[in-house]
Amino acid sequence: MMSFYALVIEPFATLAFMRGALVACLALALVNGVVGTLLVIRRMSLDGDVLGHAVMPGAAVGFLYAGPAPTWLSAGGLVSGLAVAALAGLVARGRYRQDAGLVAFYLIALSSGVVLVAWRGSNVDLMRVLFGTILAIDRSALLQIAAVASAVILASAALYRALAVGAFDPGFFRTIGVRAPYGLIFQALVVLTLVAGFQAFGTLLAVGPLLLPATAARCWGLGVAASMALAIVFGLVASAAGLLISYHGNVPSGPAIILVAALPFGISFLAAALRQRVPAWG
Amino acid sequence: MIARRWRDREADGQILLRDVTVRYGRQTALDTVSGEFPTGSLTAVVGANGAGKSTLLAAIAGTVRLARGTISCAARHRLAYLPQLAAIDSEFPLSVKELIMLGAWREFGAFQAPRAEVHSRALAAAETVGLAQRLDRSIQELSRGELQRALFARLMLQEASVILLDEPFAAVDAPTAAALIEHMTRWHQEGRTVIAVLHDLDLVRARFPATLMLAQRCVAWGPTGAVLSGMAG
Repeated sequence: MMSFYALVIEPFATLAFMRGALVACLALALVNGVVGTLLVIRRMSLDGDVLGHAVMPGAAVGFLYAGPAPTWLSAGGLVSGLAVAALAGLVARGRYRQDAGLVAFYLIALSSGVVLVAWRGSNVDLMRVLFGTILAIDRSALLQIAAVASAVILASAALYRALAVGAFDPGFFRTIGVRAPYGLIFQALVVLTLVAGFQAFGTLLAVGPLLLPATAARCWGLGVAASMALAIVFGLVASAAGLLISYHGNVPSGPAIILVAALPFGISFLAAALRQRVPAWG
Repeated sequence: MIARRWRDREADGQILLRDVTVRYGRQTALDTVSGEFPTGSLTAVVGANGAGKSTLLAAIAGTVRLARGTISCAARHRLAYLPQLAAIDSEFPLSVKELIMLGAWREFGAFQAPRAEVHSRALAAAETVGLAQRLDRSIQELSRGELQRALFARLMLQEASVILLDEPFAAVDAPTAAALIEHMTRWHQEGRTVIAVLHDLDLVRARFPATLMLAQRCVAWGPTGAVLSGMAG
């Protein structure tokens, strides 16, 4: 039987890459809890999913240009994520519903990204872009993640009221003559959050830590601030536990973290169902 | 007192429609509707489902685009719009007081804290609609009638010279409807322009001096008695 120290503390105390991964996960849990909760209460979970994959082709171009350097991957991902958000917005102005437009972009973005990476890179490179490299986060990548997370949290705090009102009653701002594009600003914040997360979790999985803890927290019928706090706690616990499971069980870290995050989601969902209060996630 | 504050900065509540046409894809929702809502008028908009009633209000509010025609309204950014309850996310984590105070959004905006005066106006409006005891509740806990009352209280804080109501009395109980009709009548007496989409023709006959009947096009527009003559209640 392993001691608590050997089980929980030692992996982080002795291995720098485990510490780096933990710090990155903690920074991501903070920003994901905030932005994920806003996504869920704005009923935009699907948008989050699509924008997660929209990061892919840009990251692939960054990869072709500079190899697996985090800065170029992020810059490319940011550009293509914002482009897809803007294009989807344009499509939504037409007669198609926005979700149909988003799904089309999601498939195109994912496929073109995979083709681009596979064209010049190896299968290992492809796996890195798709599933992330949380155990290979270096100092500069860590600083990038922390900087983006901090900026997004500050921006969300400043714009919180406007973002919430726009979600609650979408026509209200237009009738009182407020023209600021809060919807677009929020989509940009989501893209930034996903860019921060995709170095750790890859373009396929970055949306998992963004949505799972927030969706789980919404099941408890709390106010927005409390819901964000609970989502952050779920994210933190899932990150630490997932890293340890991946270390001791020798399984991939990103998927391990997401599987652990699915646990509070399942429990919260069952609890909500028992209380007859299953919320609409939309 | 609220009425006096509004008159101090009275805006012209006249609305002029010229060939107003709205299309959703290939489907025409409103077809070349022209006419005038005079300042201070109280008009019911009636017609079958799909006649373009809600679309007309949304067009005046500026939330749908016109395919053709113009709407001139000096009070464009001083209008208050009550959407159908279905357009509101009633699961949203927002308190009743927060919802009501949104009516004064232009006074505090995205960044400032609402002044004490906004708080007291919200309290007064909540008392008028009978929600003073529920100010700190979440809107998730409200019945549909109570949510509609809260949205009326938000309209009161907007101090608008044009008020657009989309099926304001649908799905609310009789006492709530009676109370809300009184508020609507008061707005009319204060000289505001009020336009309401309604299905209850008896109510229209009893309370609305003017009526616009739509079937994509304008079928009839004028004094209620003339427009509704020959129609069964």
